[in-house]
Amino acid sequence: MSQLQARFFTENQRYVVDDVPFSIPAVSAVQDLSNVINKLLEAKNASHSKVEFDFLVRGQFLRTSLSAHMETEGISTEEVVEIEYVERITAPEPEECMMHDDWISSVHADTEWILTGSYDKTARIWSVEGKAVMTVAGHTDVVKDVAWVKRDGLTAVLLTASLDQTVLLWEWNSERNKVKARHCCRGHTGSVDTVSADPTGSKFCSGSWDKMLKIWSAVPTDEADEVEESADRPRKKQKTQHLGLTRTPLMTLSGHNEAVSSVLWSDSEEVCSASWDHTIRLWDVETGTMKTTLTGSKVFNCISYSPLCRRLASGSSDRHIRLWDPRTKDGSLVLLSLTSHTGWVTAVKWAPSHEHQLVSGSLDNLVKLWDTRSCKAPLYDLAAHEDKVFCVDWTESELMLSGGADNKLYTYRYSACQTDVGA
Amino acid sequence: MEESSSNVLSSEKPGKMKRTKKRSKGKEEEQEEQVFNFNKPADEGDDDDLSDSEDSVYSGLEDSGSDSEEGEEEEEEEESHGDDGEDEDDAEGEQSQQLQTEVKKKGSEGEEEKKADEYEHDSSDEEDIRNTVGNIPMEWYKDFPHIGYDLDGKKIYKPIRNKDELDDFLDKMENPDYWRTVHDKQTESDIVLSDEQVELVKRLQRGQFGDVNFNEYQPSVEFFSNEVMLHPVTNRPADKRSFIPSLTEKEKVSKLVHAIKMGWIKPRRVEDDSRGRYYDLWATEDSSILAQHKMHLPAPKIPLPGHQESYNPPPEYLFTDEERTLWEQQDPSDRKLPFVPKKFSSLRQVPAFPRFIHERFERCLDLYLCPRQRKMRVNVNPEDLIPKLPKPKDLQPFPTTQSLVYRGHSSLVRSISVSPSGQWLASGSDDGSVRFWEVCSSRCMKTVQVGGAVKSIAWNPNPSVCLIAVALDTVVLILSPSLADKQVVLASERLLAGQQEEEPSEGAGPVWSEAEGEELNQGIRLKIQHPKAIHQVAWHAKGDYLASVMPDHSSHLQVFIHQLSRRRSQNPFRKNKGLVQCVSFHPVRPYFFVATQRSVRIYNLVKQEMTKKLQANSKWISSMAVHPGGDHVICGSYDCRLSWFDLDLSTKPYKMLRHHKKAVRGVAYHRSYPLFASASDDGSVIVCHGTVYNDLLQNPLIVPVKVLRGHVITHDLGVLDVTFHPTQPWIFSSGADATIRLFT
Repeated sequence: MSQLQARFFTENQRYVVDDVPFSIPAVSAVQDLSNVINKLLEAKNASHSKVEFDFLVRGQFLRTSLSAHMETEGISTEEVVEIEYVERITAPEPEECMMHDDWISSVHADTEWILTGSYDKTARIWSVEGKAVMTVAGHTDVVKDVAWVKRDGLTAVLLTASLDQTVLLWEWNSERNKVKARHCCRGHTGSVDTVSADPTGSKFCSGSWDKMLKIWSAVPTDEADEVEESADRPRKKQKTQHLGLTRTPLMTLSGHNEAVSSVLWSDSEEVCSASWDHTIRLWDVETGTMKTTLTGSKVFNCISYSPLCRRLASGSSDRHIRLWDPRTKDGSLVLLSLTSHTGWVTAVKWAPSHEHQLVSGSLDNLVKLWDTRSCKAPLYDLAAHEDKVFCVDWTESELMLSGGADNKLYTYRYSACQTDVGA
Repeated sequence: MEESSSNVLSSEKPGKMKRTKKRSKGKEEEQEEQVFNFNKPADEGDDDDLSDSEDSVYSGLEDSGSDSEEGEEEEEEEESHGDDGEDEDDAEGEQSQQLQTEVKKKGSEGEEEKKADEYEHDSSDEEDIRNTVGNIPMEWYKDFPHIGYDLDGKKIYKPIRNKDELDDFLDKMENPDYWRTVHDKQTESDIVLSDEQVELVKRLQRGQFGDVNFNEYQPSVEFFSNEVMLHPVTNRPADKRSFIPSLTEKEKVSKLVHAIKMGWIKPRRVEDDSRGRYYDLWATEDSSILAQHKMHLPAPKIPLPGHQESYNPPPEYLFTDEERTLWEQQDPSDRKLPFVPKKFSSLRQVPAFPRFIHERFERCLDLYLCPRQRKMRVNVNPEDLIPKLPKPKDLQPFPTTQSLVYRGHSSLVRSISVSPSGQWLASGSDDGSVRFWEVCSSRCMKTVQVGGAVKSIAWNPNPSVCLIAVALDTVVLILSPSLADKQVVLASERLLAGQQEEEPSEGAGPVWSEAEGEELNQGIRLKIQHPKAIHQVAWHAKGDYLASVMPDHSSHLQVFIHQLSRRRSQNPFRKNKGLVQCVSFHPVRPYFFVATQRSVRIYNLVKQEMTKKLQANSKWISSMAVHPGGDHVICGSYDCRLSWFDLDLSTKPYKMLRHHKKAVRGVAYHRSYPLFASASDDGSVIVCHGTVYNDLLQNPLIVPVKVLRGHVITHDLGVLDVTFHPTQPWIFSSGADATIRLFT
């Protein structure tokens, strides 16, 4: 068996070749196939310039030789193989390195601005070009998580969650470059490890070490909520401590048995939380009840949800990234396991514009770019960090971000292929 | 006689042949001689060639050499000493000739007739010159008075033969020469053989040469030897055919070649025996004797004869009259003995056993008829009796890999403790600092300089307060790290704010004091000054009581129990029962565990008495941990052992684990998972699974599941302390390499 019949197709109209089966050597690898396609395109269009392609056989990236791939996947070599080809994603280029004073605990990127939380008790705002714009200081302890809420013109609302058990709601005017703490969200009795704003920007949810999830209003107002203070707390001290108006939670979701490590909104009425008690829980915010529990076997450090493919990706304290379908009712169903990291997976994030790509960071100092169609190995390993990676993120403007214990926030430029966006 | 005569005749033949030939063809003599060369190499004609021709001359040829009979005779006489056979031959010939002449002379005589008759049988014309009838059956002349014709064509008449059987017999009896008398059929005459002739006959019969003087073993001349001589034997040129290849051979070869080409002739097939031309039927049979008798059932043995069977049994075996009558009355099958024991004064008097044949027959019947059953012997492998331990794989979860390393200390980390929530890790090091780490990120959140090597550190197990006890030198520090909720911090502050009871403490008692200034800012709240160096601190589960250990051989002041809320210390023991190594509170009941060098004492704090004393079979206990259920204790010792005590079972260790190569430094139980671990100076932490059952009948299941390595051995010290995460199956270990490692 040295030759097999293959039909090539693509969804990118620029690179369409004739829909006829070709006989190709079975041992051909990606590079050979790419050359074949390029030759075909040159024959069709003299002005074609060489493009590197990647090939998918039944939705799986070809990484070995064609025959080996088909053998492992159990595809018959008798029939004509349908091979889809896409423009190869080029390796992400490290672009900027933003130095912080201390470890970077979290990062959240907007289209223009990058918000990072750091162990030096501050949050920072950076432009995507890597320019430090603003330092948001106010917490009395380590900032564990940050989130953009929404942006109306020049004012943006942002959240910082800290080990000092509060979430601060800030309003930032990008023109005047002034930041103001509008609300101090008090209620957690443990460090607030994660915070996430709902898609409309009207509410946010926070998860804490005290095993609770709390839903808060994200709309800055000028009224302070009434807080039942314990009688023995001296009033004077309370005043001085507070930064901004005190806000109390709209709702408390309890159910986790261990610290909540990650929380996100899967849609406007649904919150998804991952915890150290080995579960991922989905909550209905409207009623405040738990809808589904996905049970794993290890501590979950992070989750990410992609509305494009409607999958949850979780990183846990074993070295696996697991993909879940949150809508399954029959308990835990791991769709896919991505294993390449050698340490805890501390951060995982789906690509905002690509349904198959996700990025993960781990304690083994590596950031990995994954394509779910190639679950055996990541597309690229980004070994820029010299210490533990704690957070990763994407911007919609073709940037990947990662920060960690080496005080550096790296940005990587990657080419979001038009074809993939179209797909 | 007849046979011998015929032999003689045949042996004489060549000589006679020669003679006749000589006579008929005198010219061809030379040729003839050549021909006969083959038969008789010692020929007259070849005399010149052969050096020893005189000796080997054969009689016949010499005869033929002379024409006249007289000459022959003369010659004979000349050579007679050498050639006996020839003489005889000649003599015979002479005789027969004489006879013939006699026959001629007295033709009418009966004897002559008979002699003539005898000629009939001679068939050789060449040989017999007296009768010319030739080689015909002589019975043809049976009915004639003559037996042939002589050379002149005259009839030879049969000699008159009047000898009958009787005469023959008489002759045989009387004639001393009868044995050497030969009957000549052709001349019908009796010839008496001379001594020489008899000798010749004997020689020939023995297969020897007729010539006595002929030496058959004389040295021969090798003409055709392997040696190439200077001069060839013959001067004859080589034949042409010896130069050219043989046509016939060529033809033959080409025929064979053709046949091979056509495949008519095939090369002989080599028999391949390896594939099994012969099948070894018994190849798989076990040839040993045991295998041959696989189903062999040994016949039941007859019991050996006892005293009853003896010819001289002890008297108690002899039957009394009653017994004898009983025996006789019994049915033979009911009898105890098939015979009556008898006594004989000597073995000589023992008669033949009358029932011998009968008994043998019975025995044969027994062997034949008795049903035999194979008794299956149960072979129990001792290994199978050991209960099967589950595989470590099935005992998940347990820590398997190193996940985080907490770096920051500059000297060996003696003690670590995890906060009850599992968020913080406190570590005390020889570099004089206490560090607080965030567990999930390995971030050092706080460093408190306490100014002395920290021997022991213990987080208050009560989750509603956040306090930590640190033992260094002679002081126990109570720290409030304020790493918890403000409510909790306040609660702990309140706990510490309790007033000291103004109780006159004993002179050597600990002194409580409040920290001030910089120390207060660092979180140090209380100092409890002890009289001696403190080795260990341990909290009660409620978090109000704190025990501190000051090992001292000579004093009974080794253990103090402090009450935090009342700032009170007391010494529970009045007597020194040995060097106290470590202490621990029972997690739920009011018991107090005190580990001395060799044993663990359990005291009831309410009744103030000792309830149990556990004997650890080790030389020097280093560490101790109490199971969260309270019924099990593990002890690590400096002689590399880990002993598990089941308090309900015994005061002896239920199990001893000797997995470590070096001294065990620390042991720990997990609070919720069935795990325990031991840390050793060999740099490894061994995690074991230890399920404890509520059922009292079921013993704990202890399976070592994982050896965790990672610490570097520094100054011969490996891992110094080990502790589990309160909620996760994770383990922290601190080592002499100044690091703390988290294994998950």
